[in-house]
Amino acid sequence: MIDGISALRPQKHWISSVLGNIASFLSMGIIVCVCGLILILIFYHGAEVVSWDFLITEPNPSAIHTESGGILTPILGTMILTLVGILFALPFALATALFLCFYSKKGFLKTLVKSGVDILSGVPTIVIALFALAIFTQPYMAFLSSAIEGVEGSNRAYGKSFLAAGVTMAIMILPFVIKAMEESLKNVPQAYIDGAYALGANKWTTIRRVVLLSARDGLVTGTILGMGRIIGDTAIVWLVLGGTIRMTGLQPWYAVENWWSTLTNTGCTLTSYIYFTSPAGEGNHYTVAFGASLVLIAIILLLNLAATLIGGIGANKHG
Amino acid sequence: MDSMNSMDSMDSMEHAIAIKNVTCRYGSTTALQDVSLDIPKNAIYSFIGPSGCGKTTLLRSINRLNDMIPSFRIEGSILVEGKDVYAHSTSEDTAKLRRRIGMIFQQPNPLPSSILKNLLLPVKEHYKGKEKDYRSLALEKLKLSFLYEEIAGQLNQNALSLSGGQQQRLCIARALMLEPPIMLFDEPCSALDPISTFKIEEMLINLKKERSIIIVTHNMEQALRIADYTAFFYQGKIIEAGETGQIFRRPKTDLLKRYITGRF
Repeated sequence: MIDGISALRPQKHWISSVLGNIASFLSMGIIVCVCGLILILIFYHGAEVVSWDFLITEPNPSAIHTESGGILTPILGTMILTLVGILFALPFALATALFLCFYSKKGFLKTLVKSGVDILSGVPTIVIALFALAIFTQPYMAFLSSAIEGVEGSNRAYGKSFLAAGVTMAIMILPFVIKAMEESLKNVPQAYIDGAYALGANKWTTIRRVVLLSARDGLVTGTILGMGRIIGDTAIVWLVLGGTIRMTGLQPWYAVENWWSTLTNTGCTLTSYIYFTSPAGEGNHYTVAFGASLVLIAIILLLNLAATLIGGIGANKHG
Repeated sequence: MDSMNSMDSMDSMEHAIAIKNVTCRYGSTTALQDVSLDIPKNAIYSFIGPSGCGKTTLLRSINRLNDMIPSFRIEGSILVEGKDVYAHSTSEDTAKLRRRIGMIFQQPNPLPSSILKNLLLPVKEHYKGKEKDYRSLALEKLKLSFLYEEIAGQLNQNALSLSGGQQQRLCIARALMLEPPIMLFDEPCSALDPISTFKIEEMLINLKKERSIIIVTHNMEQALRIADYTAFFYQGKIIEAGETGQIFRRPKTDLLKRYITGRF
């Protein structure tokens, strides 16, 4: 009986290992092929339009391909929106992660926060955008965008601006940044925390001087991943930032004295510009869309590379 | 147990620490049962015994470091410099207590930042003064822990680039920044090479002139070399305690005899 079992096992193992190898090679092959095809296609179509001029020229609403200009304002719009979003998200994400790791005890509140984070991470961004639009078009939210004037019977706010979209983005990335930060806070060696307490530090000092210092690489990585999500999102941009291709604040929008006007008015990001110029949008300049896509992918790849490098250094440090 | 009784008769202010009828539990597990011990001033007291016998639990109860474990419960009293550490309960009181008690752990735990920042960590928060003054204090403590010459004044290098033995001595120097009259060492040399171990032992003998020291150790030669007093723990109880020479040369119980001769 025992001999029978031991004789069977190697054979079973052999079959499952071959099947496993085939399955893993197939899935790996599909992923590599799809990823490679996307990159090759975008590079093939995009490389011919991307030039220094393309990066530093404002877009132009023209039906003629050669007159459509570059992607300066979409790039800057992406940067502004990312900055606003991350600035709103960071304090809340860090506070929530610290709460979950160091202040909450097992119980109702912790479960509530944790499931809130999980549920929010599963909500599609278009739904978050719709919800945000419902909030930001309320008359009392007009200070974030502008009040609609000259429409009989309407006292609604416009609801679309960099600030409104930034706050929405912050809500969208919160669960991801909280989870990444919580993970890095959990990985702070207990020896550091014990050591700080033994030196007579209180909880807050321990967190501020020891935990945050030791987890900083993970915290930065979490922040960068959150930035990547903002940069890549389109639904929130289209609904809450608007479908314009230029900055609509007081001109010149980049003048320091117009900063509030720029933030409370609409603009454009790389993703919304790609939609705009694609055949699905209005522009029908698909080569321009590919050029903008190439720049977008380059930015996201660079951010991910930065996150990997920083994360790698952090992992070695505790070794 | 005789030696313990003779020490009990002394005034409790004579002792750095007086442990009275302490029982510790983690949930339903009893880690220490009715333990009493007096720790004299300006001496080295070593705790020996097999793993899991409650040595570290007692050590971490003295500076209330077990408070962070939710299931931990303690009965009895621990008097540090005449005051019951579990009688007051504000976190500020506990922090004050911990600043009077330096603690060194089994694994060196310097933070991932510079040597100087590690040394300034305990003093920065509580004492308003010039950084220059602290710097000279830091240099003094580095000399005391024989680290100053080895790092050749490079206070800004990362503490994690030091060797394990150097990191442990940095941790001792860091604890010394607060000038604690009491110091607890939890197997400080178990992760170190013999040369680092000897350096730390030499330092401990220097330190006991002004400080009261408790060291948990698995190394019986180390206890014999440096400790004035030794307590032998077994299954949550102190089986024998007294002068180190007595403990090792004339063990009274069969249990201790077997432990010393390695028949456990």
